[in-house]
Amino acid sequence: MWSLIQKRVCRKIQLHSSIIRSCLLNSVSEHQFYYSSSPACNHTAPRSAIGAKKFNGLFSSFDAKWRGSSFMRFLSSQAAAEASTSDGLTVGGIIANNWVIYDENESDWKSHAAAIAQSIHLIKKRLRWKKLISKLEVLSKELDKPDLWDGPSHAGKISREHGSVVGKMKEVNAFEQELFEHIDMIKLAREENDAELESESLNALLVLRRHLKEKELEALLAGEHDLCPCFIEVQAGAGGTESMDWASMVMQMYKRWAENRHFRVSAVEEIPGELAGIKRATIKVDGDYAYGYAKAEVGAHRLVRISPFDSNKRRHTSFASVAVIPILGDDFSHVQINESDLRIERYRSGGPGGQHANTTDSAVRITHIPTGVTASSQNERSQHQNKASAMAVLQSRLDQLEIVRQAQINAEHTQSLTDINFGSQIRSYVLHPYRMVKDHRTEYEVSDPDSVLQGDVDGFILSFLSASLDKDIEDD
Amino acid sequence: MKSSRASLSSILQPVFSLRRPAFCSAAPPKPQTPLHLRPPAFRAALSDLQRWQAWAKTQASSVGSTFSALDGGPDSSLLLRELNWLVEDAVEHPALLSTENKVTAEVAIRAQLEEMYELWRQRIEERRPFQYVVGCEHWRDLILSVEEGVLIPRPETETIVDLVDHAVKADEELREGLWADLGTGSGALGIAVARILGGGGRVLAVDLSPVAAAVARYNVERYCLEARVSVRVGSWFDPLKDVEGELNGVVSNPPYIPSKNIHSLQAEVSRHEPILALDGGADGMDDLIHLCHGAASMLKPRGFFAFETNGEIQSKLVLDYIQNEMEGSFCRLEIVSDFAGIQRFVTGYKA
Repeated sequence: MWSLIQKRVCRKIQLHSSIIRSCLLNSVSEHQFYYSSSPACNHTAPRSAIGAKKFNGLFSSFDAKWRGSSFMRFLSSQAAAEASTSDGLTVGGIIANNWVIYDENESDWKSHAAAIAQSIHLIKKRLRWKKLISKLEVLSKELDKPDLWDGPSHAGKISREHGSVVGKMKEVNAFEQELFEHIDMIKLAREENDAELESESLNALLVLRRHLKEKELEALLAGEHDLCPCFIEVQAGAGGTESMDWASMVMQMYKRWAENRHFRVSAVEEIPGELAGIKRATIKVDGDYAYGYAKAEVGAHRLVRISPFDSNKRRHTSFASVAVIPILGDDFSHVQINESDLRIERYRSGGPGGQHANTTDSAVRITHIPTGVTASSQNERSQHQNKASAMAVLQSRLDQLEIVRQAQINAEHTQSLTDINFGSQIRSYVLHPYRMVKDHRTEYEVSDPDSVLQGDVDGFILSFLSASLDKDIEDD
Repeated sequence: MKSSRASLSSILQPVFSLRRPAFCSAAPPKPQTPLHLRPPAFRAALSDLQRWQAWAKTQASSVGSTFSALDGGPDSSLLLRELNWLVEDAVEHPALLSTENKVTAEVAIRAQLEEMYELWRQRIEERRPFQYVVGCEHWRDLILSVEEGVLIPRPETETIVDLVDHAVKADEELREGLWADLGTGSGALGIAVARILGGGGRVLAVDLSPVAAAVARYNVERYCLEARVSVRVGSWFDPLKDVEGELNGVVSNPPYIPSKNIHSLQAEVSRHEPILALDGGADGMDDLIHLCHGAASMLKPRGFFAFETNGEIQSKLVLDYIQNEMEGSFCRLEIVSDFAGIQRFVTGYKA
């Protein structure tokens, strides 16, 4: 796409020497253009984003200097400012204009621009833009300290965090810039009566609009541990076989959901019910943002149906509770576990064992005595591996407890997802007397329970994530 | 092939029970290749394989808790898990099996479909141990080849490796030098101990059974440990005369089941596993006592031993025996429990 526009621009530039002049003048202030809209800058010369970008190469040596040490500080002090089109239109301005947003198929640049502006606005909100700016300032100051690298692990952490914040801000700024480039281009095309260029630019705007819609969702998953893999655990509520059957349906729903998302799913533990279903089961879900998505499912899930296990065909209500535990990466400082604090047992003991028994069952349960937290694994083929797998679950459980504890200490922490009570009822699946699945937190509902139980849970997850995050931000 | 092996073991068994070194003039037996290591040379229609799987599930489910009530054998849920593992080992891309609607697709498998039926029939009807069915046992972080005539390593025995790990961490000198695994069977302990010791350690793995020795050698090769684990055929310490008094450590999971209990064992064990590896004489103590004396003469001072026993009573008997009948030979004696809480191991150091 860019090469196309670039070609067009080169032709245009031959025709418009005046534009070339302004480009040359302004490429010097390219970075100001990217990241600032200080009024002084606005007035010194009419700026052209297109020119600035296209002539980048000419000024590469200058550019390199610019990108040096002063760049980060510059970014941190200027990031708050907004970019604009050559005639001063900003994202805020576009939103204030209240242009009608039509369907994507409508070839109306204002509609596209308004949709894009809205997405950018939402992304910034979700990223907590203002906090991000102050965070960047704090981190930059920290990075400037001469004694920073005396503590390499602290320094590494600061520098990683800094990199991540800068990365997020640069990405959004680049979207803004792209938006204004396209708008400028459309205006230019109209001046020149170049229908081909106009339609190309309009198309580019549409591509950006779609891309940003996806980014909106990604910005929902900006939580510290969202990127991590996770364990999903489903436990049957009171109510015997009917609720154990329900628990296995819920587990099945998440297995399908995870597979549809191309996450890797592996069973860790499964305690079957006596007649049907499961008492409890744990799966490991591996893939980008597995925890970020799955955390939206924590809570009690309620089923209403005519129980197939009731010979009198009565309507039953049963519950299954879902817990989601992030598997934190190596850069997280895990809770230290002392070997002496552990009690390791074979899950299903009995009999003299040893040479008397030939069994492929080598399930292991580990209890962390000080906290009483337990974890078990039975699906691996050796005891050693079951132990390792149970230890991984135990580590994640203890880490999660620690995160919650830290969050409670942390005054900044208001209400977040980690506070959700595992017992609080989040969703009802009604199969009788009518058919509906409804989320009690968002009121999001679907009239086809089968598709949901087949793993189509994303609608619920995304609506909850956006509702809770956007609410969180308003609370700030 | 299988029938010749069966007859071989039936000929050899009386010899073994007399506890004399077996004399075998024939070429060493060739170990079988575990199912998961065979080439996926066969094709089956996906729908046929799914039909096999459905049949196998029905077979497993129909067992219910019959076996476990009868002799502590597997119940349906365990058999269903084993079935998943069989699929894992036999099918090149097991995930294909859970896909629907690809009726025409073909699947690459490591055994003929008829053999798959036969294997699962043996598992259910003959109570053939699952590990013999797939030709391997997952033990610790190892996948060991096993076959009829070789004891399937038990999960309990994994703990001996941890005990060795603790011992060499407490006294690094033990790490460098010779260790022995007596009655190595598949080579499990010998291989795992060699991996714990690292480059400076060597393990002599001994077994009376030529079948076991051949399988142990195969497993040693699979883990590229030929330079560090030597397999010797013979009875207990007999083939180790050349290293008397030089061993840093001795480990063993010897036969320890009292003879009178052998017939009442779980069918998988009593019908299929080698009695040589199970029967420990009248009170199950014959070989343990022999090992205690052997260890006393074979170990270096401060050398370590760990033996598996039949449980609480036998652990105490072994401990008492060492303390009373072999006074002064060993020190720092300990009884260690397995993960089921049963006092299972006796450990100690040469005085």
